[in-house]
Amino acid sequence: MCSVAVRMSVRSSMAVSPEVPMLVAEDVHRQFEGIHAVDGVSLEVPRGKITGLIGPNGAGKSTFLAVLAGTLPASGGRVVFEGEDITRLPAYGRARRGLVRTFQLPSEFARLTVLENLLVAAPKNRGDSLFGALMGRRYWIQDEERLVDEARRLLRRFGMGAKESDYAGLMSGGQKRLIEIMRALMLHPRCLLLDEPMSGVHPRIVEEIQHYLESLRAEGLTIVMVEHELRLVEQLCDSVFVMAQGKLIGSGTMASLRRQREIVDAYLVG
Amino acid sequence: MNTFYATNLLVYAGVDIIACIALNLQFGVSGITNFAFIVFQAAGAYAASVLSMPPDSNPDYSFQLYVGGFQLPFPLPWIGGALAGGLVAIPVGLVVLRKLRSDYQAIALLVTSIIANTVITNARPLLNGAAGLALVPQPLQDQIDPRSDEYYYFYIALTAVCVGLVWFVAARIVNSPYGRTLRAMREHELAATALGKNPVELKMTIFIVGGVIAGLSGAILVDFITAWAPSVWLYPETIILFAAIIVGGRGNNVGAILGALLVPVGLEEVTRQLIQMDIGPPNLIPALEWILIGLFILGFLWFRPEGVRPEPRHVFRGGPDVGEVEHGRLA
Repeated sequence: MCSVAVRMSVRSSMAVSPEVPMLVAEDVHRQFEGIHAVDGVSLEVPRGKITGLIGPNGAGKSTFLAVLAGTLPASGGRVVFEGEDITRLPAYGRARRGLVRTFQLPSEFARLTVLENLLVAAPKNRGDSLFGALMGRRYWIQDEERLVDEARRLLRRFGMGAKESDYAGLMSGGQKRLIEIMRALMLHPRCLLLDEPMSGVHPRIVEEIQHYLESLRAEGLTIVMVEHELRLVEQLCDSVFVMAQGKLIGSGTMASLRRQREIVDAYLVG
Repeated sequence: MNTFYATNLLVYAGVDIIACIALNLQFGVSGITNFAFIVFQAAGAYAASVLSMPPDSNPDYSFQLYVGGFQLPFPLPWIGGALAGGLVAIPVGLVVLRKLRSDYQAIALLVTSIIANTVITNARPLLNGAAGLALVPQPLQDQIDPRSDEYYYFYIALTAVCVGLVWFVAARIVNSPYGRTLRAMREHELAATALGKNPVELKMTIFIVGGVIAGLSGAILVDFITAWAPSVWLYPETIILFAAIIVGGRGNNVGAILGALLVPVGLEEVTRQLIQMDIGPPNLIPALEWILIGLFILGFLWFRPEGVRPEPRHVFRGGPDVGEVEHGRLA
């Protein structure tokens, strides 16, 4: 079953040539008071694939992801999304264009229900402005009903239909991860940036998330994933970038990376 | 209970309810800890005063100094008061809400409140300094005698209409998708930003809306008591309103009303009764009132942080049967 969210995102990305990479980082820097958390990283993310980003703790992976998503500004370099320079675009602007991130730590809206968490992300709701709110329920109820239906389809797909009325803050760690992914999908993303989506998650839910990510890729969604669990990276990712000390030190498939001495020394063993 | 006393009680209750609904939109729903709230109420009160008073060159008003003095007919001073609250919110919001983290916002707003009060107290030509404004004309006082019972009923009705109007606006905001976005921003601003929400725009909008409502509450109050001075809008007045929201229930308009009736109105009444009983030194009871407000805040934050009427859980029709809705306690 192809979700409406992903179908729409794939359709809307058709305007851009398939030759153009989904996301390009050009010499991206990010400094914190003289410390180079990200030090001149350049890479290209291909369309419709799952791209892994690995490296030891403190390598700058999450910082780099935050710079790509705009939740942290770059100190230098360029970020290009679907051929357009978005370096100066704020995070909310990037999200509206389809570049959506999740967080390393759970970031659910705790005192909103699971269904509300998804609805918050949904664009094109006439009631989601002061003017729309003051116009009253009749003005926005059609949009709301359409989006509730869409959110419920996603919840059923991710096996959380029965939880829609529960507070998101009362969900388990794994369920919170699923909420974040579903929430991002409500935005009809073209590219999803996932920061350690399997971290602290029960192995059964890890398998579920893995299955969902594979199905999203099959529907054409581009995914960039920071992950420490190398077995999962090997199974899921089409290509992998390796970072250490803020720099990009290698790229390729996991099999090819395992053959590179420098990368093995820096990260894969020890 | 005489009519004057009942009118006092009801008008003050109305003003406090309006103020608490406004603060609930900002603090309870949107997570903006507006420690400068009283400034916006004061802006409305001053604006309504100078819009309705004659120029200070008028022989009856020449004992005070102030800008303006436009003698505008009712309801223009009240509309002007509401607009003044909103206008003051714009520069304050632009300075405080754009760059600062939420805890620093609270500190900056508290400092703003203290600065504003100090400036108005010391800049006498502006709004008559510490002595404040007096003889503020009351709405339609030429048509109805302000000392008559009819006028009291009229003022209660005017206040009630404003309470109804503010309730209507606040309910539409809170129960809409826009209200849901504001609550999401309160819960996790960065995550809301990463989902395409512009936090500065959201915060500025609700800050201005709250400022407009606060300004209206100030206009209603000043036209009732016919005087306004810096001593009535010191920063602790904001703390009383925060206590009301915390006691009543953050994020819930009904809770805001309940809090307004329990804390500013209820506590004031109990204090008044105790003062009349002549217990201890003259300042003992007012001092105890502040201790009681502090204990109220601490007690509720410790034992019942969600307040008497917690924020309702928003359950959608057609969902799974969840039985009786319970309010989970979430940190």
